[in-house]
Amino acid sequence: MDELAIEVKDLSFRYRQTTHAALSHVSFSVPKGSFFCIIGGNGVGKSTLCNTFVGLIPHYFLGKMDGEVRVNGQSILDQSIADLSSQIGLVFQNPFNQLSYTASTVAEELAYGLGNRGVAREEMVKKVAAVAKLMRIDQVLDQNPLDLSGGQAQRVAFGSTFILEPKILVLDECTTQLDPMGADDIFAIVKRLNHEGITVVMVDHDMERVAEYADQILVLAAGSPVLQGTPAEVFGDPRLAEFGVEPPAYATVTQALAQRHLIKAELGVTKEQAVALVKEGLNHAH
Amino acid sequence: MGSGEPVKSPIEKLNPLTKMLAIFCLGLATLIYPNSWLGLGIVIVLFGVAGIAHILTSFAKTIFGFGIPISLMLFFIQGLYSPKNKTIIADLGFAKLGEEGLLYAAKIVITLLVFLATFYIMNQTTYAGKMVAALTRSGINPQVGYLILASLNVVPQMHRRLDIIKEAQEARGVETTGGLWARLKAYVPLMGPVVMSSLTDAQERGMTLETRGFANTNVKRTSYIEVTTSKADTYLRAGLIIFLVAVIIISIWMRWAQ
Repeated sequence: MDELAIEVKDLSFRYRQTTHAALSHVSFSVPKGSFFCIIGGNGVGKSTLCNTFVGLIPHYFLGKMDGEVRVNGQSILDQSIADLSSQIGLVFQNPFNQLSYTASTVAEELAYGLGNRGVAREEMVKKVAAVAKLMRIDQVLDQNPLDLSGGQAQRVAFGSTFILEPKILVLDECTTQLDPMGADDIFAIVKRLNHEGITVVMVDHDMERVAEYADQILVLAAGSPVLQGTPAEVFGDPRLAEFGVEPPAYATVTQALAQRHLIKAELGVTKEQAVALVKEGLNHAH
Repeated sequence: MGSGEPVKSPIEKLNPLTKMLAIFCLGLATLIYPNSWLGLGIVIVLFGVAGIAHILTSFAKTIFGFGIPISLMLFFIQGLYSPKNKTIIADLGFAKLGEEGLLYAAKIVITLLVFLATFYIMNQTTYAGKMVAALTRSGINPQVGYLILASLNVVPQMHRRLDIIKEAQEARGVETTGGLWARLKAYVPLMGPVVMSSLTDAQERGMTLETRGFANTNVKRTSYIEVTTSKADTYLRAGLIIFLVAVIIISIWMRWAQ
């Protein structure tokens, strides 16, 4: 059996002073080293779920929690958010809200989490330089983070999380501030880290990207899991539209072509798969 | 003490704690010395220090800008109406100018100027991050340090947000320039979104801090900002303490001799 990075068992959560459960009987597991995506419409509990992984729920956001969440085998209830931060990192949507507001330069911002861990300055300087190079922000190290563009600020937010060397990375709609090329750059880095063994849990509305990167996809609807499987399994499911999810354009096109018997009855969810299917169909026609 | 980098100078290089000690020692020495001459001497020396720190013009503007009006006001009130007045040096008809009141006013003005001048020099020559790093290293609660830095940095953030909302309003045809009334009409509706979004941001900021180990209690915090204690700091600190002790002894002797 695969070792598990995250294990969620019958998790339900209701925020304090609310009547509806944000999450209801959610169970799934994320194997170590995998790329796991969570998708669904707006307000279905994706961010709430991400917050449980890093311990923000139940330690920061109060409410009624049932069930269990384990990160690297340990219950989040037995660990503080600070303890969990050494294993799992979270990057979310607005980069400017991910600044510590203690730093007047990007370098200081990147080093903030290391300072909270008591890392020696010499080591900090080395790590900051390495992460800045990785994130391509080494040219702005002396600038005030508040003066950066949204894209640059998001790179700083990523860098501030990567620098803590988490074994699990949670990305909650974190590329919305980036232009398509900037987002591709970031995902190239994320993919590389994933290949190096980092587990990635990603929430995203870009289904092309989800199809390209995910090993497994979990679909949430009204706080409950409704589908789980590989990209081909999830995006090929006829019930997908009911859950407010539109499949990637490649899946729609290959499905339409297959229905007209122009290509073989297979679902191409990524660009590469779709192109291969169309090429094969054309060769067959000739 | 701003969030930006101050001008490089020998004063800027000093450890922030040395500058804080200077505020304390020089201010206290002026306060306890029986007359104003010591304070006046310190203010003159501080003009030299401001010159070394390359902030002489702004320093002079601040000192004179504060010193002249406050002196005039205190000399007028204390000189003419102080109950301490016994030696009358001029009769203005409507009131009598007393020597004791004038000396008392001079003492207050000069003490205020010493505190203002030392604080101004520290403020202009110290990077806020370095100050907090020095304080944290010397044992202050990191959460207090966070409050100092976050307070300094949150203002530019709110300003930034105000600009974004202002641009959005302008794009929709709202007039944000012109006379006072036009500006008031434009800015008052902006304050709601700015304040509300700042409160929303605070929640996400709190999440960020937590996930970066802000609440870590079992480690001694470190900082990216290098804070050193040079030989100059050591000598200056020793000099300041010796100076204060000497002033205390001389002040006691002067009062006893009277």
